[in-house]
Amino acid sequence: MADTASFSVRGWRRYAALTFIAVWLAIQVTVPLVQKLGGDPFAPRYRYARYSWAMFSRPVPHFEVSIFRTRGAGDREPVPDIDRVVRGYRSPAPMPMIAIYSSDAEVLDRFTRLVTTLARDRHDGYAYVALIRWTANHPGGADSMEIRADAAP
Amino acid sequence: MPRPRLVEPDRFWTGWFDLVPAYRLATLRVVLAVITLVFHVPKFNRLIADYTGSSFHVAPAFPWIPVLSPTVGMALMLAQDVAAGGLFLGWAPRLCAWFLAMAGFYVMSLDPEFFAHNAHFHLTLLALIGCSADRLSLRRLLADDDAGARCPAWPERLVGIQLAIVFFYAAVDKILSPSWGLSGATLAAQRLSTRGPAFDRLQRMIESALPRLAGPLSVATIAIEAFVAAAVLVRALRPTGLAVTALFVLYLEFVLKPGGFAWDVLAGLLIFAPAADRRWRVAYDPACQSCRRNRALLSPLDWLRRLGWISLDAAAASEAAGFRLVSPRGRVRRGFHALRALPIVLPGPCLLALIVARFGGGFLAARGYGAWDDLPFFMLGGWLVLWIPGLGRVLGQPVYAGISQTWHNWPEAPRMGSGAEGSARCSHARGICVRDPSA
Repeated sequence: MADTASFSVRGWRRYAALTFIAVWLAIQVTVPLVQKLGGDPFAPRYRYARYSWAMFSRPVPHFEVSIFRTRGAGDREPVPDIDRVVRGYRSPAPMPMIAIYSSDAEVLDRFTRLVTTLARDRHDGYAYVALIRWTANHPGGADSMEIRADAAP
Repeated sequence: MPRPRLVEPDRFWTGWFDLVPAYRLATLRVVLAVITLVFHVPKFNRLIADYTGSSFHVAPAFPWIPVLSPTVGMALMLAQDVAAGGLFLGWAPRLCAWFLAMAGFYVMSLDPEFFAHNAHFHLTLLALIGCSADRLSLRRLLADDDAGARCPAWPERLVGIQLAIVFFYAAVDKILSPSWGLSGATLAAQRLSTRGPAFDRLQRMIESALPRLAGPLSVATIAIEAFVAAAVLVRALRPTGLAVTALFVLYLEFVLKPGGFAWDVLAGLLIFAPAADRRWRVAYDPACQSCRRNRALLSPLDWLRRLGWISLDAAAASEAAGFRLVSPRGRVRRGFHALRALPIVLPGPCLLALIVARFGGGFLAARGYGAWDDLPFFMLGGWLVLWIPGLGRVLGQPVYAGISQTWHNWPEAPRMGSGAEGSARCSHARGICVRDPSA
């Protein structure tokens, strides 16, 4: 027996469904377009962006990052309890990573914030360092970069 | 009398609010729920655990997003498990689907590192499933034999359009991206994922061939993605388009880079399948034990309600001799040929079996239990091998005869009131056959 009576879309439900469909399609069409080409319709400029269905369209950058601390000209020392600061991180050995959905600016921003937070919270006179070395598919610029933040004694 | 203007949109949207068989969306929901259970929920729960176990966080995607505390994180992990289970079983499926979609987007917004295209696509499909009013629980999908459940068409239309949007923008991105281009450098730079030992040789062959083929493949990828986007929207292109889509995502999954995307796309294609038509017919003698077993086995797998069980009298049954399947175009398949066609008739459970093999095999292989990640290769490859011309005569029929004999002799659980019918054996027990009614 057809089980249909309670499923037909009538009255306000139909208008609600129509509104939902229109909003859904508008978002699904507009958001990726704006993400890819920017908000200015007279000067569209392509960029790789999340939420824009940009699968496989750029080579995935690979990098290694070493997080450690030093005092003066001393050796690299491990950052104590780094795993509590960011679960899964280790110190001072290099960690291979990929920036599959991030730009290199976002990668730099992440580790700048990390060493700044470490230096601010520790108050031990050490310099906290993140050494980033791009190993594959780096879009441009230096192949390695050191980010340093000095903790107050 | 002039027609009121308000009717015009009605006419335009008629197809969208027609009632269609609910079995497609219900099958899609079950398959998506399994992908959620075996892949996305474990992944999101791991991200939540990592996030709440860390004291350092980058700014979330939107400043108004609340930060996740350990207690709320635990509750969210538990709620995701419950919601994925509810979606699978069909208990409050709309609520569960929307909750999973919202929770997933929330987690992805907490940290840019948590974003993934396959998760984005999966959550989008979950949100659309949250609009479905199929009201078919898993129990009803498996146990009931009715084909009358109907629901509005618009959620499945949106799933189709969503597939088109995804492939359209994937093609546009590759056209505009300075990294992709026509040289194929981006494709050649892809690092192929390691397979199990059985496919080392295949992987080495692909790796050596990819740099040479990268240019043409680069162009072909754009063309295929654009074609798929058009084909799912244009009815005339759809039969070819669906086949190309399935082959393309299987190429991505098995040749290039495994992930969740291919399985979500294959699940999405279910909404284009015919349903509730009972046009694949199976000869069935109620007095025959093997026929009853065939029906008991296949009916719960017939989620799209495509199999029509045609009762035969004893004379016709002995003439039918064997498992016989008649396609919608009237082509009769018997025995081995009927058996190998079953995955086409029952795409939902077969896709589910591949998905469980893919993610379950990956789970076991990652924990050192052997090369289980090769299992989906063997399953899919094994099925394709069955279609090699001539194999039916050489290998198929003897193998089928063995399977059929075992199935025929399988002890049947005693049933109350089975009587003479329960002990009956018939001469046509060694076959399965399918027929097309239009022939």
